[in-house]
Amino acid sequence: MTPAVDQAADALAAKNAALQEFIMHHMANSHTWTPFPFLKIELPSYLTVHGVMLVLAAVLLLLVFGALYRKKDAVPHGLTNLLEVLVLFIRNQISIQFLGEEDGRRMAPLFCSFFFYILCLNLMGLVPLFSSATANVNVTGALASVTLAFMVCGGIYRNGPVGFLRAFAPRGVPWPVLVFLVPIELLGLVIKSVALTIRLFANNLAGHIVIYALLGLLMMFGLRALPAVGLAVGLFFLELLVCFLQAYIFTLLSAIFIGQIYHPEH
Amino acid sequence: MTDSISTIGVGIVTVGAAYGIGRLAAAAMEAIARQPEAAPKIQVSMLIAAALIEGVALFGAVVCLLAK
Repeated sequence: MTPAVDQAADALAAKNAALQEFIMHHMANSHTWTPFPFLKIELPSYLTVHGVMLVLAAVLLLLVFGALYRKKDAVPHGLTNLLEVLVLFIRNQISIQFLGEEDGRRMAPLFCSFFFYILCLNLMGLVPLFSSATANVNVTGALASVTLAFMVCGGIYRNGPVGFLRAFAPRGVPWPVLVFLVPIELLGLVIKSVALTIRLFANNLAGHIVIYALLGLLMMFGLRALPAVGLAVGLFFLELLVCFLQAYIFTLLSAIFIGQIYHPEH
Repeated sequence: MTDSISTIGVGIVTVGAAYGIGRLAAAAMEAIARQPEAAPKIQVSMLIAAALIEGVALFGAVVCLLAK
């Protein structure tokens, strides 16, 4: 190869490395929050950017549901209508369908919280200069462990310790099979929540990295890579869909898993 | 070098997941075409299965990121 080609290749490799570092820096959790360009907020040691996002989302939801959601009005208006459609959808189509009439009504607040909190975090991740807290495995792990806690503690509370354990040994199975089946079923409890964790986390992380990588082409190849911006915009709208879909999937799978424990052999 | 190998791995995982989701969607479309009144139920179970398959693909993506 000629020296000129070598130089160009080296320059591209250096740009590529810088770009990767930039992307990883933006996806990773840190103590410096830049809500606007040139405005850097140094956060105290007990708070990270994703922590700020979690608190912001919680405050936002409390404001929306506390101040703007008027359930008591005879005729709901505006935002109340929109939220009520979603709340009713979660209660009727997710909670009651998989947990039964009585439990479904009682557990609906949990699933509404799951849905709106995850949706809010996901959408905040798409606002430029905010950061996506659901692209952090610790956040999604904490959310999934709430489901795990309901599966274990709720199952014991509802069916009693013996009834809870009996659900792991299906009736009518010969005992040599049970020796293998019971550990697998017990492991399944953990695997289900780990799968919930990874699904939400990886979906958000992968989506954001792909958008960043497409925009990064512009930095690497200059204006020749302009069509990549169109692709990035298209992907952004796909991500918008994914935000709703993943919040729905998380809520739905949580309801199914908890319902399986509450009503064994059903 | 390990970089590119893990990238090839995630490509293979994606092929598998795409095949799975493609078959799933085709079967669901056919089922809905045959029985349009059962569409809501089919859609929900299709989404659950799609989420499970997608989970595998994302496991691959995460492993690819970690393998660097």
